[in-house]
Amino acid sequence: MTLSDVDDYMVWATDAEVARFCSWEPCTSREEAVKYITDSVLTHPWLRAICLEDDRPIGYILIMAVDNIRKEIGYVLARKYWGKGFATEAVRLVTAEIFNEFPEIERLEALVDVNNFGSQRVLEKVGFTREGVMRKFLCIKGSVRDTVMFSFLPSDTLK
Amino acid sequence: MEIKSETSSPPEKIHLRPMTLSDIDDFMVWATDSNVTRFCTWEPYTSREAGIAFINDVVLPHPWLRAICLDDDRPIGSISVTPVDKIRGEIGYVIGSKYWGKGIATDAVRLVATEIFKEMPEMERLEALVDVDNVGSQKVLEKVGFTREGVMRKFMNLKGNVRDMVMFSFLPSDSLH
Repeated sequence: MTLSDVDDYMVWATDAEVARFCSWEPCTSREEAVKYITDSVLTHPWLRAICLEDDRPIGYILIMAVDNIRKEIGYVLARKYWGKGFATEAVRLVTAEIFNEFPEIERLEALVDVNNFGSQRVLEKVGFTREGVMRKFLCIKGSVRDTVMFSFLPSDTLK
Repeated sequence: MEIKSETSSPPEKIHLRPMTLSDIDDFMVWATDSNVTRFCTWEPYTSREAGIAFINDVVLPHPWLRAICLDDDRPIGSISVTPVDKIRGEIGYVIGSKYWGKGIATDAVRLVATEIFKEMPEMERLEALVDVDNVGSQKVLEKVGFTREGVMRKFMNLKGNVRDMVMFSFLPSDSLH
């Protein structure tokens, strides 16, 4: 993703429905968006825009290091594009490649709010294992949430 | 006809107190035992100096660590709650193998689960991570009333092996067994 994607970025970043289960509040200005892309997106160790054929982003997907053997996947999609299998496809693409890129990684995990059913279905469709509900696990925007833990191992099979 | 019931040894009464350098010799009893360290992240201690360094560097500055003592006030193990972040604390415990199977760890964990939320009121979740093969420790937590949330696969590197770990939790709103 680059600064030239800022207007497309704003489409999802300003949307409270999209931000609902995210750790961030909706973006309120273009300046704020430019600052966020500069400070957090361009510097991110592993973040990719999710694009349709016109190469314009409709969301992004990222990988964060948890420790030497674990990485965490996260993704966000503009609401207009929900329900079409795009997040599923993005997660499948990344999961298929990530262990080649990081051969030392033993586990790819995802943490999803208990109420975020759409995102849970994405991971299940790709073949992640739902390991359990971690109660009062994460503090998101001041609320302590129950979180579902998912994982995918190099030895697992993509669906 | 008298039916003899199977009696285990009478439950030992334990209390918790801070650990000090004067506990070094009792510490070395469990810290040098490879049965005890089997599921710990650390190898058995091999020298008194290393034990003293551990007490100075880790035990004394720890935010919450207690010796588990019998009536004679000598430690036979330790229990600790380590903050993971602002809302989560992780409980860990170790007992000398001579004292296994007497409900001591269960009593110690129950004591801590009863008190810790008053001492750390910002904590919303007390959790424990137990190796899938450490059935004894899983039973301790279940007996106290922790919730077994699931098996986290390939979760932790334990002495060079990547292990599946069982996640347990206890919340302030939960009931002790």
